[in-house]
Amino acid sequence: MKIDSHEHARRLVAWAGPESLANSDQAWLQEHMNSCAACRDFGGNVASAIHALRAIPFAADGELVSSTQLLVRRRALELQRHRERLWMVCISCTVVTVFGVLSTIALWRGFAWLGAQANLAPSVWQVAFLVFCATPALVAGVLLLVRDTHLADHVGSYQG
Amino acid sequence: MNATACNFENAMARESTEIARGLRRRDPDLLDRLIAQYQHRLLRYLVYLTGRRELAEDLFQETWIRVLERGHQFNDRYAFSTWLFTVARNLVIDYMRRTQPASLDGLMDDEDKPVEFPAIGQPSAFDLTHLHEQSERIRAGLQFLPAEYREALVLRFQEGMSLEEIATVASVPLGTVKSRIYRALSALEPHLKGMSL
Repeated sequence: MKIDSHEHARRLVAWAGPESLANSDQAWLQEHMNSCAACRDFGGNVASAIHALRAIPFAADGELVSSTQLLVRRRALELQRHRERLWMVCISCTVVTVFGVLSTIALWRGFAWLGAQANLAPSVWQVAFLVFCATPALVAGVLLLVRDTHLADHVGSYQG
Repeated sequence: MNATACNFENAMARESTEIARGLRRRDPDLLDRLIAQYQHRLLRYLVYLTGRRELAEDLFQETWIRVLERGHQFNDRYAFSTWLFTVARNLVIDYMRRTQPASLDGLMDDEDKPVEFPAIGQPSAFDLTHLHEQSERIRAGLQFLPAEYREALVLRFQEGMSLEEIATVASVPLGTVKSRIYRALSALEPHLKGMSL
């Protein structure tokens, strides 16, 4: 008998688990096992090992389970709060955008009206409008840059 | 397929759908039930995979947190247990990467630390003594197996998973699963000699 057939038989024995082998494989295996004592022993050992493996008792600690449940509930609550906060941020952003658009339109018209009252060329009140709109962002940008430089100096002095 | 098998499959599919729906809602009651239901199986899998009870317990908790956070990714076409074991396995691999750059092979146990497989309970009758002895020998044999072989054994023979399901959990081809099971049992054979009744 070839070595390959022994290995094939052992592989079939090892793979045969909850679902059974195909009929042809089963018949071949049965025939092989009847004629080969070594593979029969292997089959017996494997069957015992699987039986013993299934017999190893295992239980999770009750405390572990309850602490996990508590942990999961706490995390679920955190996630729910996070989601609610995210919703609030989304709603706030939407409201700010809507008000921003409305106020820009109103300001544009206000500047146009002022320009007309003061008999200014359209380009003049339009530039004034742009400066008016951009000034807060520019001031905030400059302040942030100054603050960053200040922090960088501190970090540098600590590292130095 | 007979009617009983068909009903069983339908019930499994219904259960998976309900679990998927609950996980999308992050339903804490459902998670409580799942933790209680899968406690032994998940912890056993983690203990066999890591070889360390304490680490397995930490990863057990992390797994359920991950299930909560990523519950929406569960596909109800699969069994929940398959997905659960996949999540747990990925966490073990993440842990291994954090502690040492390796795959599951890195869990091939430390020389210094003995592998902590579940202790065998006291047999209550004489006819359990033989089984007890067999289980002790298996436990001893498992210590010398690489983690991926232990994983294949626990999923196959303790969880009763099909070879295809194991391939899904371990993210390896079917042939690799077959090879692992064969090699694991072959490696255990020296410890099994003379065990068969």
